[in-house]
Amino acid sequence: MSTSSKAPPGHFKILYFGPAENHTSKSSEDLPAPLPIAKLFSTLEEKYGGIKANLLESCLITVNLEYVDIPENENDEGMVIQEGDEVAIIPPVSSG
Amino acid sequence: MEVATQSAEALKRQIATTEEELKRLKEQLAVVEAQSSIEKAVDGLELGAGPVTTGKWPLELEEYKRYGRQMIVPSIGIQGQLRLKAASVLIVGAGGLGCPAAAYVAGAGVGTLGIVDGDTVETSNLHRQILHNTAKVGMKKVDKIVEKYDLVLDCTDHPTSRYLISDICILLCKPLISASALRTDGQLIVLNSPPLPTGDASGGPCYRCVFPKPPPAESVVSCGDGGILGPVVGTMGVLQALEAIKLITSGKLLAREGEKADDASMLLFSANSNPPFRSVRLRARRAKCFACSAEGGLTLEGLSSGSLDYVLFCGVTTPVKILEPEERIEAREYERILKEGNRRDHLLVDVREKVQFDICSIEGSVNVPFSTLQGSGGLAAEGEMPAWIPEALPSDAPIYLVCRLGNDSQIIARKLKENGLGKDSRYIGDLKDGLKAWKEQVDNSWPEY
Repeated sequence: MSTSSKAPPGHFKILYFGPAENHTSKSSEDLPAPLPIAKLFSTLEEKYGGIKANLLESCLITVNLEYVDIPENENDEGMVIQEGDEVAIIPPVSSG
Repeated sequence: MEVATQSAEALKRQIATTEEELKRLKEQLAVVEAQSSIEKAVDGLELGAGPVTTGKWPLELEEYKRYGRQMIVPSIGIQGQLRLKAASVLIVGAGGLGCPAAAYVAGAGVGTLGIVDGDTVETSNLHRQILHNTAKVGMKKVDKIVEKYDLVLDCTDHPTSRYLISDICILLCKPLISASALRTDGQLIVLNSPPLPTGDASGGPCYRCVFPKPPPAESVVSCGDGGILGPVVGTMGVLQALEAIKLITSGKLLAREGEKADDASMLLFSANSNPPFRSVRLRARRAKCFACSAEGGLTLEGLSSGSLDYVLFCGVTTPVKILEPEERIEAREYERILKEGNRRDHLLVDVREKVQFDICSIEGSVNVPFSTLQGSGGLAAEGEMPAWIPEALPSDAPIYLVCRLGNDSQIIARKLKENGLGKDSRYIGDLKDGLKAWKEQVDNSWPEY
């Protein structure tokens, strides 16, 4: 996968690591920005039914390589993902 | 003659039982011996702790030769080498991560190296019936072992052991280097560094700070099911050894007065990605962390008494039992159907992923991977036939599902029925115990992978 390319104008890039890639069948994609971080999970749930409970809730989420907390309530204030940002969905991998 | 055969049979059975018993006893002995050799190694360290000086130089002459190239690296030096010699490192798990990690930790001249595997915290036991007992016995032993070491490397393969080891390291103030690998991806985190007591916000985050919620048990994929590349897991194990050497030689095994955590980070390795390495910045300890915050409920007493159930916390996968007995056929029964009938009289659908189907498949079977049948994909709208059903197939022709072990096939069989493919009194069922049974009952030349 080539994840180094930038998202087109009006979009942010989202990277799916490890098991997340299997869930979405892609390693990355571009989604419309801006998007409040509190709405990230519901946005992905709409695209990939079941992803929230099966994957996202146990994941580490980063924006521009920095850890972010996802507000529990969708209407809570929180950071807003901006155009050109890079979001990563990092599920725990436990095997070895 | 018949009597003789019978008594020979009886003797054979008795031999098999006795051999089984002997094997079990040998395994128990090995565990006891491994345990006592670890204890011995640790006792040895306690006696000779600190740099050993024989004569005017702090290291043996041979050690100067052996570690010379490492010692002249500016960040190591003689001080770093002496710290390595005085250090004790515990590696939990002696598999794909633990073996390379152990080789490089030992090769760097670490004074005491402990490796725990087998029944002590063998997480492959967690898939067995006796899982509760095993996990709790393991817990009691592990905290006693960890106590005797300066640094822990988590090289295990299951969420249960990862949370347990992290909790113990928090309670005993030991830094922890945790790595994992699956398919072409790996993760590496240095946790609890500096290793400050519970409630001290300046300490490094723990595994629970990074992953407070375990993944659903059904979603946990082992290397056996998901696959793994040797160099990927090897890379992660070697990187663990590197982080261990860095921590030891920079004198970070114990927290220094007033020390605050540097920004903790997680290193992500994706062999097929560009760039293949990414480092993400993590936060400090989580304010409400169950293990390392002042508000958390974790105590050494709670842990050793076994009141914390890690197996329950991470969830248990129970064997899939969706179909009724009449919805399942034995592999040998399918072979009979194949021999007697016309191939067009039925359809055998193999729901393994394509990479596995390509390795080996039953002649005439159609591959419809499990993943493509997840969600709404792979199935046509109500009343229509999915594209993978041949047009020539009569509407009442049976559909048999098969997979590797007979779990996914049940899920899909049920799903096809719910989707209405079973109307017109069509039989939909699966091959019990999957291709494993096919090898056992029908074709012993089948390549099991």
